[in-house]
Amino acid sequence: MTPGRPDALTPDTVTGAQLMCHLLEEQGVRTIFGYPGGAIMPFYHALPEFPELRHILVRHEQAAAHAADGYARATGRAGVCVATSGPGATNLVTGLATAYMDNSPVVAITGQVPRPMMGKDAFQETDIVGVALPITKWATVVEDISDLADVMRKAFVVAQEGRPGPVLVDVPKDVQNQKVAWTPGRPDAQSNVTEQPSVRASERQGVRTAAELIASAERPLILAGHGIILSGAADELMRFAEQTGIPVITTLLGISCFPEGHPLHLGMPGMHGEVHVNRAIQRADLLIAVGMRFDDRVTGNTAGFARHAKIIHIELDATEIGKNIRVDVPIVADARTALTALTALTAPRHCADWRTEIDSMRRPPDESFKGGIAPEVILRAIHDASGGRCNVVADVGQHQMWVAKHFPYRRLNTHFSSGGLGSMGFAVPAAIGVHVARPDEPVWAISGDGGFQMNMQEIATMVQERLPIKLAIFNNGYLGMVRQWQQFFHGRRYSATPIWSPDYVKLAEAYGIAGYRVEKAGQIGAAVDAALAYDGPALVEFVIEQEANVYPMIPPGATLSEIIESEPAPEPAPA
Amino acid sequence: MTTTHVLTVVLDDRLLTLNAAVGLLRRRNIPVRSVTLGPHVTEGRSRLSAMIETDPAAAKRVALLFEKLIGVEEARVMPAGQAVLRELALVHLRPPPDGYAELLDVLNLYHATVVEEGNDGLVVEISGPDTFVLSCLRAIERFGIHDVTRSGPVAVERAEQVSPTPSSEVPVR
Repeated sequence: MTPGRPDALTPDTVTGAQLMCHLLEEQGVRTIFGYPGGAIMPFYHALPEFPELRHILVRHEQAAAHAADGYARATGRAGVCVATSGPGATNLVTGLATAYMDNSPVVAITGQVPRPMMGKDAFQETDIVGVALPITKWATVVEDISDLADVMRKAFVVAQEGRPGPVLVDVPKDVQNQKVAWTPGRPDAQSNVTEQPSVRASERQGVRTAAELIASAERPLILAGHGIILSGAADELMRFAEQTGIPVITTLLGISCFPEGHPLHLGMPGMHGEVHVNRAIQRADLLIAVGMRFDDRVTGNTAGFARHAKIIHIELDATEIGKNIRVDVPIVADARTALTALTALTAPRHCADWRTEIDSMRRPPDESFKGGIAPEVILRAIHDASGGRCNVVADVGQHQMWVAKHFPYRRLNTHFSSGGLGSMGFAVPAAIGVHVARPDEPVWAISGDGGFQMNMQEIATMVQERLPIKLAIFNNGYLGMVRQWQQFFHGRRYSATPIWSPDYVKLAEAYGIAGYRVEKAGQIGAAVDAALAYDGPALVEFVIEQEANVYPMIPPGATLSEIIESEPAPEPAPA
Repeated sequence: MTTTHVLTVVLDDRLLTLNAAVGLLRRRNIPVRSVTLGPHVTEGRSRLSAMIETDPAAAKRVALLFEKLIGVEEARVMPAGQAVLRELALVHLRPPPDGYAELLDVLNLYHATVVEEGNDGLVVEISGPDTFVLSCLRAIERFGIHDVTRSGPVAVERAEQVSPTPSSEVPVR
């Protein structure tokens, strides 16, 4: 249905929909990612009156949520997505869950059926607030126009303060049409996101104890996570590491918080972490974990994780302390303030013997791609083509691990990945958000052939909105990571993992973008250069070895000491 | 070591907040023996009491998780021994005419009160620690219970003890 235009309004009277737009502007929002529909039509009716609000029409609401997430990760400010009730709202769910697991501040606004119809299984009615409760920091419905401003403002505060995360605000259609007095201006209830000035008194003893442990440790390690990026603590981490000489391990979401190639940088830990990184963890006598949560993909079997190490855990969210791993010294604090305080209490040292020992554990690079189209060569080419200025958005699977391990990240917060939820289909739409946040920098979305086909419809969004995003597809004809597990742990029974792809060059042509296929190693550089130089979105398909594997690998449920470094002998499939 | 802990939460009285609170309990995979909700002394707020079976560290983490919920004002957790727990049961009895006098004697023993009498029986109120209420229910079972509603335990932290021995669990009238 088409709503009638609102009645002629007095200057200080607006509709709920207009108020929503005013409030978005008030919060500094410039871009929203969305898709219209019946219950959100009043909002879309008002939107053209607010030309400062750029709306990016996605092709599926999941992409709106991922794009808002990508924008939030790149800027540190809330990304906004909008959808209608029912299927529009439920399509946001994967994106919200992704943002929730990775602590990305997203504000989702959904239309809802009019209040008199709620609870009557009306057309396109879904209890999206009930659906969203466990995957958001806060989900709420606006029950009356008088609550709308407070709820919207609070949504931005909740999404961005402390440990960030998504918030969902459900606005019934009749509330969007209600009228209310409105005085523009920045109210007192503005976002009160403030930096914690110093470590709280209750945590100071922890900082002192941590400093003593750091002074006496022989084999210390820093485990740096997403919290470094979220709290803006990269400089503090660098100062702390360089002062103490302690090697730095970066978790999947911590990647790019500390420059690759720095003498103290070791790499990624865990299931697909480098051998020397996992061995170092198992040898360490002290772990200083900062802004990370000991995910099971990092720890493996916790019973055998870092048995010789005392653990200092610096974490903003007290509920993470001791959740997965015993902690000897908890410090509940923002990473930046805690590292500043810790650096002030630690004397310079070098850890030279320990670093030499770790270096001796290093393995030569993976040779499984010798002579073929090696991921590291592709990633090096992507890096070099932009002089290292590009942003890399990974999808989920084998290529995600190659992107994590082989791209030389030297610039802060330039690696984006769905870590906690592991959402295939993330890269292409999230890259839209990253590009909107950083329009002057190249953005590459790197996907497998599986994940790319989950959200490849968003090429149309890029074309319509003139977003010159570069798309790389690592095509091996399989759902590669699942196939690898089947090879290693299920007797090579490749059940439902072979996957057909369309002709991606023709697909590119159909969308009117540039498309290239790379089948030989010698073509990599030219294709990457051409895609980057093309004035618009461009796609490069890399036809890689079909049964390439990600090494090393810790089998699920095993400890970090049980490393698979090459193809294991086939095992019979489990009964 | 897993023991019984009492969680008390002050939250706003919106069903949505209650929904989020119950969802949080469900999702953390911790055995929950009971959940009780009632009005808080402050208007617009409710008080939730839950009995959970877990170790002290996980119990503390549950309370911290509750405090992260929007709409929760305060969450506290304590070992069951540090809380005063009381339960209310309303019992509709249909005793045989010749058992009436004996029933009243038993009810008297348990400080139970007859709150209503009608043609088809009587309604009795029992309150006390949950074990006490259960004991009373067992004692009056033979008189013909038609229906029972139990409130589940409500909890409040013990007052500071004058002596180190906790007060008797027998209800005081």
